[in-house]
Amino acid sequence: MKKYSIILFAVSVVIAFASCKKSYLDEKPYSTYTPLTLTDSLGFEAALVGLYNFESTILTYSSAQGWPSVWQVGTDVANATANQQGIEVPYYNYAQLTSTDGAASYIWGKYYSMINNANIIIDGVENPSAKIGTVGKNAADAEAKFFRAYAYNNLVTLFGKVPLVVHTLTAPKTDFVRASLDDVNAQIVNDLTFAISNLADLTAGTGKLNSQGKPVGRASKYMAMQLLAEVYLRMGKNDLAEQQAQAVINSGKFSLIKARYGVRAGGAGDYYSDMFVYGNERRAQGNSEAIWVLEQENPSSEVGGNTDAAQQRRVWGAAYYNISGLVISDTLGGRSIGRLRLSNWVLYGLYPTGDMRNSQYSIRRRYYYNDVTKPAIFGQQVPFTGPDTLYKICPSTTKWGAYDPNDVFGYAMIKDFMMMRLGETYLLLAEAQVKQGKTADAATSINVLRTRANAPQVTADQMTLNFVLDERARELIGEENRRMTLMRTGTLVERSLRLNSNDVQHPTTGLAAKNLLLPIPLSEIQLNKDAVLDQNPGY
Amino acid sequence: MKIKFTYLTRYTMWLLMVMLTSISQITYAQTKINIKGLVKDASGNVLPGATIKVTGTSQATVTDVNGVFKIEVNDGATLSISFVSMATKTIQVNKSNTVVEVVLKENGKQLNEVVVVGYGTQKRSDVTGSVASVPKARLSQLPVTNVLQALEGAVAGVNITTTSSVPGSQPAALVRGQNSITAGSGPYVVVDGIPLSKTGGSLNDINPNDIASMEILKDASAVAIYGTNGSNGVILITTKRGSGGKPVIRYNGYAGTEDLAHILEPRDGASYIQKYADYLKQTGQTQTSPVPNASELPNYNAGRTIDWVKEATQQGVMQDHNVSISGGSPDVKYYISGDYLKQKGVVKGYQYNRISIRSNLDINVTDYLTIGTSLYYANNNYDGGRANLLFATAMSPYGNEYNADGTYTIYPMNPELLYTNPLLGLVTDQLNRSVNLNGNGYAELKFGGVLKGLKYRLNTGYTYLPTRNASYSGRLANTPLGAASASSSETNSYTIENILTYTKDINKHHFDFTGLYSAQRRRYFTTTGTATGFVNDELSYNNLGAGATQTSSSYSDRYALNSQMGRINYSYDSRYLFTLTARRDGSSVFGASTTKYGWFPSAALGWNISNESFLKNSTIVNSLKLRGSYGRSGNEAVSVYRTITTDGTVRFPFNGVSTIGVLASNLGNTNLHWETTQGANIGVDFSLLKNRINGAVDAYSTHTFGLLLNRSLPAITGYSSVLDNIGKTANKGIEVTLNTRNLDGKNFRWESTFVYATNKNKIVELYGDGKDDLGNRWFIGKPIGVIYDYKMTGVWQTGEDASKQDPGAKPGDLKFADTNGDGKITADDRVIQGQTSPKWTGGITNTFHYKNFNLSVFIQTAQGMLKNNADLNYADESGRRNTPAAIGYWSATNPTNSFQSLSYTNTRGYGYPRDASFTRIKDVTFSYVVPQSLLDKINVASLTFYVSGRNLHTFTKWIGWDPEQTFYTRGTSNSGANQSAFTADWTNNYPVTRTFVLGANISLK
Repeated sequence: MKKYSIILFAVSVVIAFASCKKSYLDEKPYSTYTPLTLTDSLGFEAALVGLYNFESTILTYSSAQGWPSVWQVGTDVANATANQQGIEVPYYNYAQLTSTDGAASYIWGKYYSMINNANIIIDGVENPSAKIGTVGKNAADAEAKFFRAYAYNNLVTLFGKVPLVVHTLTAPKTDFVRASLDDVNAQIVNDLTFAISNLADLTAGTGKLNSQGKPVGRASKYMAMQLLAEVYLRMGKNDLAEQQAQAVINSGKFSLIKARYGVRAGGAGDYYSDMFVYGNERRAQGNSEAIWVLEQENPSSEVGGNTDAAQQRRVWGAAYYNISGLVISDTLGGRSIGRLRLSNWVLYGLYPTGDMRNSQYSIRRRYYYNDVTKPAIFGQQVPFTGPDTLYKICPSTTKWGAYDPNDVFGYAMIKDFMMMRLGETYLLLAEAQVKQGKTADAATSINVLRTRANAPQVTADQMTLNFVLDERARELIGEENRRMTLMRTGTLVERSLRLNSNDVQHPTTGLAAKNLLLPIPLSEIQLNKDAVLDQNPGY
Repeated sequence: MKIKFTYLTRYTMWLLMVMLTSISQITYAQTKINIKGLVKDASGNVLPGATIKVTGTSQATVTDVNGVFKIEVNDGATLSISFVSMATKTIQVNKSNTVVEVVLKENGKQLNEVVVVGYGTQKRSDVTGSVASVPKARLSQLPVTNVLQALEGAVAGVNITTTSSVPGSQPAALVRGQNSITAGSGPYVVVDGIPLSKTGGSLNDINPNDIASMEILKDASAVAIYGTNGSNGVILITTKRGSGGKPVIRYNGYAGTEDLAHILEPRDGASYIQKYADYLKQTGQTQTSPVPNASELPNYNAGRTIDWVKEATQQGVMQDHNVSISGGSPDVKYYISGDYLKQKGVVKGYQYNRISIRSNLDINVTDYLTIGTSLYYANNNYDGGRANLLFATAMSPYGNEYNADGTYTIYPMNPELLYTNPLLGLVTDQLNRSVNLNGNGYAELKFGGVLKGLKYRLNTGYTYLPTRNASYSGRLANTPLGAASASSSETNSYTIENILTYTKDINKHHFDFTGLYSAQRRRYFTTTGTATGFVNDELSYNNLGAGATQTSSSYSDRYALNSQMGRINYSYDSRYLFTLTARRDGSSVFGASTTKYGWFPSAALGWNISNESFLKNSTIVNSLKLRGSYGRSGNEAVSVYRTITTDGTVRFPFNGVSTIGVLASNLGNTNLHWETTQGANIGVDFSLLKNRINGAVDAYSTHTFGLLLNRSLPAITGYSSVLDNIGKTANKGIEVTLNTRNLDGKNFRWESTFVYATNKNKIVELYGDGKDDLGNRWFIGKPIGVIYDYKMTGVWQTGEDASKQDPGAKPGDLKFADTNGDGKITADDRVIQGQTSPKWTGGITNTFHYKNFNLSVFIQTAQGMLKNNADLNYADESGRRNTPAAIGYWSATNPTNSFQSLSYTNTRGYGYPRDASFTRIKDVTFSYVVPQSLLDKINVASLTFYVSGRNLHTFTKWIGWDPEQTFYTRGTSNSGANQSAFTADWTNNYPVTRTFVLGANISLK
C-alpha cells in the first residue's frame, strides 16, 4: 500500500506541474483590437470612421454642459446667462482665463488625440507592408491628412505655435517644443494639398455616395479646399485663399438654398430656416449648400447614431419651460435652458429690415402661451417681465431647435452639425477679397448672400473686414465658432469690447490682447519635463 | 489548574448504553471500562471537537457535535480533556464513574488555540506573525447577511466601512491602512484553502452560519505566503466540518424587523412654502404663486401634503433559517447545511434573498489517505425595481403622487422635469442574480516509516459563477419607447495546489516545513443585449427581438497565476520560534517585458518568555510572547490586459447607417508589475493575573512601492496617461486587543473586549518628481484621502464689506479664509483640512452572564475623519426641490453663520467637508440558554433564545442621514465601488437601518 501512495503522489505532482506550460501566463485580449488591426484596407477604413466619431465627441461633449458657450460668450455675439454652467466663465471674465483653464486644456488634448489617431493611419498606410492598393492608400492617406490639418489649424488658431507631431509615438515622450508657425502652416498646407488631389469628388445632385463610392458625409476635396481657404486667410495669403474659395464655388457642385424644401417645406417657415431643420441638413436630403455635415442619428432608432449628449440646443435655446403656461413643444424647439443669450448687438443692431436670416423662423423673439390646460391665457403672447427676458424667453436662434417626443426632457440633442456650407464659402471669399483691397468683388460676393436673404444690397465702399465679420454673424450665427473666427482675424478684443461690453448679467471683463491666443495648458508645460514648452505671452 | 469532577448519575440513559456496549475481546490484566462523557463550557454550551486523551497512552478521541464522547479505557485511567482557549482538565475514571460531565473554563489562554495561518494551522503559542482570530461571538446571533458586517469595529487593524446598507451590499474592508492609491485595497479572501477573491465570487456567497473560524493575516510576514495577493491582508475562512458521531441536527434562525435608523426629514409644507418665498426674494424674482410649480397648486389650495420619504419606504423584514446536520463515523464525517435568508429592505423595492447549501465531507480511505470535499451552492437574488430615495427627499410636499387612473405621475412637480416620481422604479422590472457553484476537493497522504511526518495534500477548487441581469422600463416608468436589457456572464475558475508538509521533532527541536506549487486560472465571458422601441410593455425583458433597435456586446478575458511557496517553522523548547517563508508568484497580468514573476520573502521570530524558567511559575504572568517579523508581499494591482496597447471600437453614422470605427484607446506598458509592500511588525501576546487579562499589542510600519499610478503624459503624445509602477506610500500603526474578565462570580460574570487601532497613512512619492497631484488631491507626506479645500469661516452678513476679500460676494454667500494672506480668495487658499479615513477606530464589547442569561453590548467608534457633506449644497437646485429641514439657510432675518443663502451658487466647487466621526451602539444581544434539565425532558440537546438589535444609536455631529454611509448627489456615482448587488450611485441612496431580531439556536439529540 505504501508503494501505491508514493505512485499516487508522483502522479498527482506530475499532473499539477504539467499543467503549467510556458504560455500559461501569456496574455491575449480576446475581445479587444490592438494596433495590429490596422494593417489592411478594412482596418484603415475603420480607423478613418473613428476620426469622424472623434470629431463628433468634441462637438457633443457634455461633461461640461456649458461647453458650446465657451466659443460664443464674451465675444461680440453672446453672453452667459444666470444659467451658465461654469466652464465658460473665464471666457467673459477673462481674469480667470489662466493656464489651468479647463476648456483650453480639453480642446488641446482632443486635437492632439485626433492628430495621434490620424498619424496612426498615415504611418500605417505609408508603411510598405500595408495590405492596401495605391488608390485606396492615397484615399485613406488623404482623408487622415484632412483631419490632421483640421486639428492643426484649430490648434494654431487657438494657441499659436504648437509642437508638431507627424508620426505616432511608440513610447512616452516628454521633450516637445513648439514648432515655428511656418513649419506648422507648411505641414497643414501640404496635408491639405495632398488631400485636395486625392480625396473624393462629389457627384451632382442629392446622391448618397461620392465619386469614390463612399457616403457623401465622408471627406471630399471641397472640404479640404474650404479649409485651405481659411488656412490661407489665417496665414495672410489672401490671393491663395481667394483661389480656393472660388474653386469651391466654381465647382458647380453646390448652390445656395433659395426655395423651400425638405421635411417642413409645407409648414410655417422660410427657405433659410429650412436648412436647419433636422432631416434637411444633409446634401442627400436636399441641402445643396452642404459641404461638410457631421451626421447624427437618434440612438433609439440607430445604434451608434450619436456620440455624447450634445448640449447645443440646451445652451442656445431659451428656458421657456420655466414660464407657467408654456409647455415644451416641437414648434418651440424642444427643451432648452438658455445658458447663453444673443448679445443686444445681434438682437437689436445687426440685421437690416427684411433680412430673412432675422425672421421669426430663425430668431424667435416672441412666445405665445401653448398650455391647453390654461384656456384663460392660451394663445396670448407671453409678456416680458423681470429676468424672463434674460434667459427664460430671451430671443434666440432656432438653428439648434430639436424635439424628440420620446425624450421631452432632452438631455441630448439629435441634430446634424453643419461644419461647412457654401454660405460661408462666400464669406471666406469676401474676406480674401477685402484683404486684397478688391472691395467691389467683395461686395459682389456678399450680395450673393444678401440676395438670397432678401436683404438690402451692399456697395464696395462699405466693404471692410469688420463688415465681413458682421455679415458672418448675420449668416452664421449659432453655426460658426465665433471665438475662433475673431481670434483668426485678430479682432476678438476690439469687436467684443466695442459691440458687447456691458451685458447686464455677465459683462465681459479683463479682455486684453493676450487673449488672442489661449494659454498653453499648464499641465502640458509641467508634464513635458525634458524640454521647455513656452507659455503664450501674458499667461 | 484546579480539577473538578462532576458525577452525572442522573444520566441514567447513558449509563444504560454504556452497559450495553460490548466489552473488548482482547484480554488485559486490567478491566476495561466504557466511559461516556459530555463536555460543556461554563455557559452550558456543548463543545464539539474537544479532545480527550488517555494519559500515558496514545489513545484519544474527540467529542461529537453534541459534545459527547465515548471511549474505552482501563479502569482507573486518567483522561485529559482539552479544547481551544479552554483550560485543560484531567479527570480520573473508574468503574463507578463511567458517565461524566466535564465543564471546561475559558483559560483566557488563547495561546493554546489552533489558528489557521494559510496552507496549514499553528498553535496560537507558536504563531510569530500578526494573525487575528475573529471572536467566535461575532460569528453567531447577529443579523448580518455578509460576515464582514459582523466584523466592523471588532478586530483591531481591520477597518470595515459600511458605505451602503442596500440589502445584499458588502462593506469595504481595509487591513492596516491603505497601501494602494489606485488599485484595490480589499483583503484577499480564502475559504477552506481555496481563494474566493479573483474568482468572481464574493463573501455574499459564504453563509455566515457555515463559518467555523475566521482569521485575518495582517503583518508582512503572515501575508507573505500569499505573495502577490497578500499585501492588503488576507482573510482566511474555515467552514464547519463534521466531527463524527451520531447525526446532530441544528437549527439556527432569526426573524425581525428593519427600520430607518435616522431620517433626514425634508421640510414640511409650511417650511417648503417659506423656503420658496425666500428663494425668490434672494434671487430677485417676484413671487406670482405660493408654490414653484403649477401642478402643486391644487394640493396647496386644498392643504394636502405628502410625506414622500414615507411613501418611498416601508417596514423592512429580515429573516434567516439555517438547518445543519453533521456527524459520521470515525472514518467518514459530514457536515451538511442549508440556509434561506430573506431581507425586505426599508426602501420600497429593495430586497435580497439567498439560498445556500453546503456539504463538507471527510473520508479516511485508509490510515494514510484522507480525501474530502467542500461543496457549496449559493444563489443570490437582488431582484426588484426600486424606489429612488434621493428623489423622495427632493419632492415638494404638494407634489402629485398618482394620476387619476391610479398610476404614478411621471413628474409630480410638473412642469419641473428635473425630478421624476421617486416611485417610478417600482414599475420597472429588474432581475439581478448571481450563483456560485463551488466544488473543492482534497486528498491527503500521510507517509510512514522513514518518511514519517511527511504529508502531501492535493487541494483543488473549481468555481462556476453564472450571473444574470435583466431590466425593463416602459411607459409607466417614463420610457415611452420601452427599453429592455438582458445580460449574463459566467466565470470559471480553478485552483490546484500541491502542498507538501513535513514535521519532525528532535529532542526539543521542532521543525515544520511547508512547500507549495499551485496554479490558478479564471475565464470570464459576458454578453449583453439591449433593445428599445417596443409595441407595448407586455413582454418586459423577455423578448429583446421585439424591440425596434437592438444592441449587443460581449467581453471575454483570462487570468492565470502560477505560484511556488516554501515555509520553515522551527522552534526550540516552545521558547524560541523562527519562521522563514518565501513565495514566488507569476501572473498573466504582468507585462510581457517583465519576467512575470515576483519574489516575496519574510522572516519572523518569537520568544515565549513565559516558558522560560524564571516565569514558568509566575502567578502574575500566565503567558507572555514577544514577536517580531519582517517581510515583503505584493498587490497584483494590474487588471487584465493593461499591459497591452489596445484600440476601442466606436460607431458613427453615414446616410443613417452606423458604421464601425476604431480609435486608439489604452497605451499599454509592457513593464507593469505588482505593487510591493515591505514592512516590520513587533507584537506582544500576554495573559496576566490568572488569565483575567489577556490580549495582544502590535506595532507595525510598512512601505509600499512600485504603486500603480496613471502617469500623466503630455496630451501632445495623443494619450493622457500611461499606467506605471511609480508611487510610494507608507503606513504605521498600533493595534491593541484586550480581553478582560472583570467579574468572575459563580452566577454572575462580566467580560470585556477592547479593540483599538490607529493607522497613519502617507503618500511618500507619486510620479517621481516630488510633486503633488492637485487634481486627485494627492499630497506627498499626507494620507491618500485628504480633504483639500477652502476653509469656510462663516457666511457674509448684511453690512459686511466683501469687496476686498471676495469681490462679488453677497450677504448669504459663504465666507472663506484667506489662508495665504494675499487679500483674495483664490484656488491657492485651499488647504488640507484633514483625512477621510479615521485616525483611530475602536470597539468595546461588554458581555454579562447571569446564570443562563447573557447580555452582550458592542459599541463601535471611528474618530478623526472628515467627509464632504453633499446635503449642505444642492447647487442650483435649492429653489427647485425640497431640502432637509435640519439644513437651514441664511436669510436677512436668520443671519446664520452655518448655512448659505438659497441663491448662493458654489462656483468654487467647495465640498462642504465636515467631521464624520461617530460612535455607534452597534449590537446588543440578549440571550437565554435553556437549562439542560429542562431540555432533557423535551429531548433537545441545547436551546438558546436571543434578541438582537443592530445600529441602535449613533452619536455624531454630522448633519445628514449617516456619517458612515455615502450618499450621492443627483447624477453622481462611484464607478470604483465594486458591488454586485447594485451600482453605487445616486439612484441607490439608502439609509442605515436599525434591526431587531428574535432568534433561536436549537440542536437536537
